[in-house]
Amino acid sequence: MAGAVKAPGAFAITPHKVSVCILVHTYASPSQISVPFPFCSVSQHSRLGLYLLALTKSCDDILEPKLDQLINQLREIGGLMDDWLTDHVTSRLSSLSSPDDLFNFFNELRETLGGPDSGVMDDDQVILDPNSNLGMFLRRCILAFNLLTFEGVCHLLTNIGIYCKEAISSSSYERRLDDSGNDLETLSEYENMDLNLVFKKINEEMEARKRATDPITFHLHLPKDLSTLVEDVEIFVDPKSELNDKGRESSSYASGDLLRNVDPDGGVFMRTNWQIQGYLMEQADSIEKHGSSFTLNTFELTLRQLQKLAPEFHRVHFLRYLNNLYHDEYFSALENLHRYFDYSAGTEGFDYVPPAGCNDSGRFEIALLCLGMMQFHFGHPKKALEVLTEAVLVSQQHCNDTCLAYTLAAICNLLSEIGFSTSSGILGSPFSPMTNVGTSLSVQQQLFVLLKGSLKRAESLKLKQLIAANHLAMAKFDLTHVQRPLLSFGPKTSMKLRTCPIIVCKELRSGYLLISDFCCEGSTMTTDGAFSTAWLKNLQNPMGSLVMSQDNGSRNNSNPFLFFTQPSSIPGSVLQLVGSSYLHRATAWEMYGSAPLARVNALVYVTCFADASSSSDAALVHVKLIQHLAVFKGYKEAFAALKIAEEKFLCASKSRILILKLQLLHERALHRGHLKLAQQVCDELGVLASSVTAVDLELKTEASLRHSRTLLAAKQFSQAAAVAHSLFCMCYKFNLQVESAAILLLLAEIHMKSGNAVVGLPYALASLSYCQSFNLDLLRASATLTLAELWLSLGSNHTKTALTLLHGAFPMILGHGGLELCARAYITEAKCYLSDPSFSVSDNPELVLDPLRQAADELQALEYHELMAEAFYLMAIVHDKLGQLEQREEAASLFKNHVMAIDHPHDVDDPILS
Amino acid sequence: MSSKESCRTELRTAIRQLSDRCLYSASKWAAEQLIGIEQDQAKFTPSNTRFQRGSSSIRRRFCTNEITSTPPTDVAYVSTPVMEEDDAIHGDFYLLAKSYFDCREYRRAAHVLRNQTGKKSVFLRCYALYLAGEKRKEEEMIELDGPLGKSDAINRELVSLERELSTLCKNNMIDPFGLYLYGLVLKEKGNENLACKILVESVNSYPWNWSAWSELQSLCTTLDILNGLNLSNHWMKEFFLASVYQELRMHNESLSKYENLQGTFTFSNYIQAQIAKAQYSIREFDQVEVIFEDLLRNDPYRVEDMDTYSNVLYTKEYFSALSYLAHRVIMTDKYRPESCCIIGNYYSLKGQHEKSVMYFRRALKLNKKYLSAWTLMGHEYVEMKNTPAAVDAYRRAVDINPRDYRAWYGLGQAYEMMGMPHYALHYFQKSVFFQPIDSRLWIAMAQCYESEQLHMLEEAIKCYKRAANCNDTEAIALHRLAELHRKLGHPEEAAFYYKKDLERMEAEEREGPNTVEALTFLATHYKTQKRFEEAEVYCTRLLDYTGPERETAKSLLRGMRIAQSGFPSMDVEHFHP
Repeated sequence: MAGAVKAPGAFAITPHKVSVCILVHTYASPSQISVPFPFCSVSQHSRLGLYLLALTKSCDDILEPKLDQLINQLREIGGLMDDWLTDHVTSRLSSLSSPDDLFNFFNELRETLGGPDSGVMDDDQVILDPNSNLGMFLRRCILAFNLLTFEGVCHLLTNIGIYCKEAISSSSYERRLDDSGNDLETLSEYENMDLNLVFKKINEEMEARKRATDPITFHLHLPKDLSTLVEDVEIFVDPKSELNDKGRESSSYASGDLLRNVDPDGGVFMRTNWQIQGYLMEQADSIEKHGSSFTLNTFELTLRQLQKLAPEFHRVHFLRYLNNLYHDEYFSALENLHRYFDYSAGTEGFDYVPPAGCNDSGRFEIALLCLGMMQFHFGHPKKALEVLTEAVLVSQQHCNDTCLAYTLAAICNLLSEIGFSTSSGILGSPFSPMTNVGTSLSVQQQLFVLLKGSLKRAESLKLKQLIAANHLAMAKFDLTHVQRPLLSFGPKTSMKLRTCPIIVCKELRSGYLLISDFCCEGSTMTTDGAFSTAWLKNLQNPMGSLVMSQDNGSRNNSNPFLFFTQPSSIPGSVLQLVGSSYLHRATAWEMYGSAPLARVNALVYVTCFADASSSSDAALVHVKLIQHLAVFKGYKEAFAALKIAEEKFLCASKSRILILKLQLLHERALHRGHLKLAQQVCDELGVLASSVTAVDLELKTEASLRHSRTLLAAKQFSQAAAVAHSLFCMCYKFNLQVESAAILLLLAEIHMKSGNAVVGLPYALASLSYCQSFNLDLLRASATLTLAELWLSLGSNHTKTALTLLHGAFPMILGHGGLELCARAYITEAKCYLSDPSFSVSDNPELVLDPLRQAADELQALEYHELMAEAFYLMAIVHDKLGQLEQREEAASLFKNHVMAIDHPHDVDDPILS
Repeated sequence: MSSKESCRTELRTAIRQLSDRCLYSASKWAAEQLIGIEQDQAKFTPSNTRFQRGSSSIRRRFCTNEITSTPPTDVAYVSTPVMEEDDAIHGDFYLLAKSYFDCREYRRAAHVLRNQTGKKSVFLRCYALYLAGEKRKEEEMIELDGPLGKSDAINRELVSLERELSTLCKNNMIDPFGLYLYGLVLKEKGNENLACKILVESVNSYPWNWSAWSELQSLCTTLDILNGLNLSNHWMKEFFLASVYQELRMHNESLSKYENLQGTFTFSNYIQAQIAKAQYSIREFDQVEVIFEDLLRNDPYRVEDMDTYSNVLYTKEYFSALSYLAHRVIMTDKYRPESCCIIGNYYSLKGQHEKSVMYFRRALKLNKKYLSAWTLMGHEYVEMKNTPAAVDAYRRAVDINPRDYRAWYGLGQAYEMMGMPHYALHYFQKSVFFQPIDSRLWIAMAQCYESEQLHMLEEAIKCYKRAANCNDTEAIALHRLAELHRKLGHPEEAAFYYKKDLERMEAEEREGPNTVEALTFLATHYKTQKRFEEAEVYCTRLLDYTGPERETAKSLLRGMRIAQSGFPSMDVEHFHP
């Protein structure tokens, strides 16, 4: 009820807990020697202990297992004595037939616990330490029972009856028991819990009184018929366990649902709060990890059930929000977000430590933060920014520094993601979080200030993950922006007009140094829970008996990989951060031009962090690897890999995979000379970058860059130049400096191809200087190559200059450049030699022929007809000069083929295209 | 509608049949309507009309159009069916069971009838079992109430009842009452479509069971569902439609239905109360007050619907009347949610919010789904500055009925109070979505947009425009519109709204700073427009007020005179003494 104090942990005694208590009692029955009666070995004994521990901690479901599930698991761990255990549990449960039995049972339990002086006990004796996990569990059970009202005890009794009955009706006990008159039958007739039962109970009581004279006490007697069943228990349980395996195989979530929807009414009990919290956390992680491939409706069912069972457990709404968020259900996500915060006031579920002097006015700033991130997720950056600004204000009002730090980080993230297309008027408003900076700064500068501030704040609050994330963001910023001193920082800041790989690496490294801290800190809850869950899932392959389980026909469905997916002690979120620092490194090296390092980092990410990564990060790393393949191995392999990636990631409307596919298609179309197709693909890219959902500036730049290149390939030079020019203006306006370098290079190429080498030169030089200040080595090499080509086309007296330039760039190009770049370099080299008047072919033919052959080989994979035609043409000329007619004819015919291929692009027979 | 006499006969038979089956609330309802039918003058005797005395001139005052008692020509196609009676011996069992039932010993009643096969006995047995289950359910609800509010207490009889009733239904061995029960069970089980179908079948074959109608009504959550029902014509259907329309917030349709029905059931308290509730929803508080006064005079021990009356008294700030009402209901029945709600209202009016919350809580304890109590409690928490609790209370109201615009509005207000206008907008938007004709909601939303943080004036103007269009009683919208337009530099629009605001103030004979502001702006505006005559009018009016504006008006007038007389206006300074 509103305003009421919510009890922190509800611990209700349930039938399942009673059976666990029975097992604990067996495990640590008092006055026994080191290996108590039913156990044959110490390992068996401790195995049961482990199992019980896992039972009380695992968070793989919201509901407590039913009796038959428990029995199945017992069978798996019990080994030789499983029959005894199951029978013990069932008979014990069914012997609880009146409230008084329950009272006695719990009294008996109390004996299991050692007293405060248990330290002086004999070593051989098994006694439960009251402060151990199991001991605490037992104590909580006893306490919960003692708190029950009489009505509560009656309910518990009824529920135990239902609990047993279900187990019986689901296996085939019933058939065998129908002629016996023991307690179990009473339970199977439980449906009409009216007079019949009362009469029966009275009868039993009277019987019991009679029996009281017997040596065996009534409460502990083992029903005769049950004990006769023991021998053939094995037979009718096997199919059951097989069914369970199947359930696990299809999906670990579904299996629970299948079982629980059978009976919506009785006998459904929630696990402890702690376990459910853990379960929900795990689910939240996997929603994020699997994105839209996580099934919406299955989980929704679970949530609905949870809500029905615990209407005051508001976390459900948050999970529902997450679920909807990742399935792009805007309205229900919004609705659930609001509902969650209305109910919880932001004080439930989040692992926050209330700061000193915390007022009880709720933490609605967290609501704003979440709302802002949601709006951003759905592509409303402007709205998101408005909300986040409000979040900043409210957190300042409520002195919630933690939330403020996170909000600032979120704003930084937003600003760096949306590019700077909507720069005007968002941060300049008077209530900007950084009012002291003033509004004269560009958005990048504001972002930089924000980043610095956010980092500082996170450091002072010791929010490690946030610090790490901020370092990453900082690295990203350093990577793409030249740092200019800011006026507000005072005149003393040193002038540094370049980005530096060292700074980037330092930022990245300082981000993931944190991991060592996490090992000791971390939230024990999730790790404990996850361990227990994994342990329970691994039940069917007991320690080291992997081979054995494969022998057994019905059990080899179990996934052998489960063995390796035991959770590490590092929280998933930390792993994710560290992983993304590797991604950043890969990107950084990509830009700096070290292909192997980029690839290695991407591969490290895939192998080490794939489990913890979010779906978008995983997609990104695939994109990187595939791009690498395309550049270094040609399209065939790239497309093959793309196909795999497409299967792995659902091709959503604006996914990275889709963009990658379009990019590859465009490249290939350009190389093959399919200009129409190229234009078409290019247009599609443009559509993706359109402003329906917030402008993605990066994508927009890329689309028009490609547009310009298509025009260039179609030899429409002036138009290509115009497009490139306007693009450059845009990049300049929004300070996209890295992109500017590439565009300048393109402009140089356009002018070169149009025959205006002199006009092209300054562009190439400008591009070079950009590359230098950003350390873009590979781009610089290719700019040098273009420069050499320009010199070459200025006339034969410049060949020397061209050749020197080229040879200077060769190490970089051959070491890190892709196929196309290398081929171009080779061809240019050959052309340089050929146009050099002092060079004679006949003296040293291999000096020319060798690079040409290399180029032709490399271009083969790219199907780059135009360049190949050029290579073969040159080859033919060389052979002609050498008088090698046969080879000349061969080269000439190849030349012809490729020229034909350009002119008549035969139809594409691609499965990818369809 | 059929004639009064036939209605009367039908109802009389129905009451007997209903109470014979222990469907007491339905029979109560029918009896109320029976008494509500206007007596023929011929049979007029004082004792007959005791209930109808005081049939008021007051009420008539508000019946603007005299209701013609020639209503639509729906012919009642069903005459009251003669229900089968069981034979004597079985009848004896039935009598015993009914007595047990009347003593609220439901299981015993069911047990007596265990071997009876007559339709009537079967119904009573099932009904008794159902009620026994309900009773147990309520007890369990309290027994099982945990900290997480686990609410899975269920009526354990439902499963077996459903099984039995569906078999009976399949074999066509079920009477309309059985169908009603079957529908009820299905509804509880969550099978709403089938429940709808069965209930329709029930009311089509036996329309006088109001309980069946009201179950059906609770299933009609949208107009589409209502239109999808295949209902035969009968005058009971009119009652049903009126009530559904009211739930669907089609107040005017509902009102006209009720007024039509009043032609026959002139003195029905039920109809009167429903009309009052509908009038309340369209905020005609004066009429509501009159109706309730009248109602209380005829039926002084009535508790039903009195919470609405108390709301009216609250709004009108009638302290003593409200306390009197509270006193009366508490003497009648203390443990009714309505009673608690009335007392809560009283304390709220007195400004004792803690006590008020206590009584609302009690009301909610009695009925967890009592919508208005949640909302009112939210208001109290807002008054107590306990915003999280207020938000929680409002949210519960909204989750019970997502169409409750007051609670959405309350949520918005709470967030606005916490300085989160952007967040609050979401709630105000919801609120205006469900009640687009309430100017207060639009104004609240506009104020959000106007707030310093958002400063989205264009949107604010749009909202104020909507508010001005829907009868803004407090006349905030026009003034704000004028000011905003002036701020944004739209003098034409500003003048338009100032003028309207002025007209309005004149009509309501109000005066204040707003009047002066409007006059000053208009005078200056028309002067710059060179429409000196109008400007002069406003200036002269301004002269009636004291303060600096008066001086402004004087100088304006002077300036205009100079301009008209052809002198360059800049010379004004020189002529100034």
